[in-house]
Amino acid sequence: MLVFTRKRDEAIIIGDGIEIRVLRTGRDGVKLGVTAPPSVAVHRREIYDLIRAENASAAHHPGDLHQLITRLRSGTASSSE
Amino acid sequence: MTQPLAPYAPEPSADRETDAGGVSPRPEDVIAFPDGLPGFESCRRFVVVTYDDDQAFQCLQGLDAPGPAFLTIDPARALKRYRLILSPADRLRLDVHEEDALLWLAIVMVAPDGTKTVNLRAPIVINPRLMVGFQVMPHHSLYPIRHPLDL
Repeated sequence: MLVFTRKRDEAIIIGDGIEIRVLRTGRDGVKLGVTAPPSVAVHRREIYDLIRAENASAAHHPGDLHQLITRLRSGTASSSE
Repeated sequence: MTQPLAPYAPEPSADRETDAGGVSPRPEDVIAFPDGLPGFESCRRFVVVTYDDDQAFQCLQGLDAPGPAFLTIDPARALKRYRLILSPADRLRLDVHEEDALLWLAIVMVAPDGTKTVNLRAPIVINPRLMVGFQVMPHHSLYPIRHPLDL
């Protein structure tokens, strides 16, 4: 991991067009400003991890999903997976 | 795979490769997900499988390994007046034009006891004109990741 010491209003750049700037520092946290091209998605780590875990829980093997949908249609939606 | 999903259960064809999900879609049905989905970042191609006799649910089927399949529903069907405003950056990622009718899909989770919840926090949005999509992760949302689904 690269480690930088930055003061307020100082920044780092990553690759072509991504800038992370320290806007404010305080006792409870650091306020960062991220500038990135629209093709680069920027998320809070904990939100991303939450959604990743939810996706993993909701993913099926294709054959299992086919069986699940068959059960949903027949109204017996209990699952053994 | 033993059971290909309708309508992608084609006749055996010499010129079509079977993808990771066990389906052989027509090229025009393949939707590009440039970032994959969180947790499935290497899966960059999906198809949406609809069912003639079930209008509520669809299957979002990944074509790249590990070929995840998701049960999905129109979020407006799960919650009336559901409305999510795409950020300007997200609109650029989808190249949204005024006339584009975006396709929204929310991932449904079925618990072992059959209880269903739907992820309204992070729906999937697809621009059918470009056949490009991604999972929207707003920085702030009033919608829960597990909204009860009574269908």
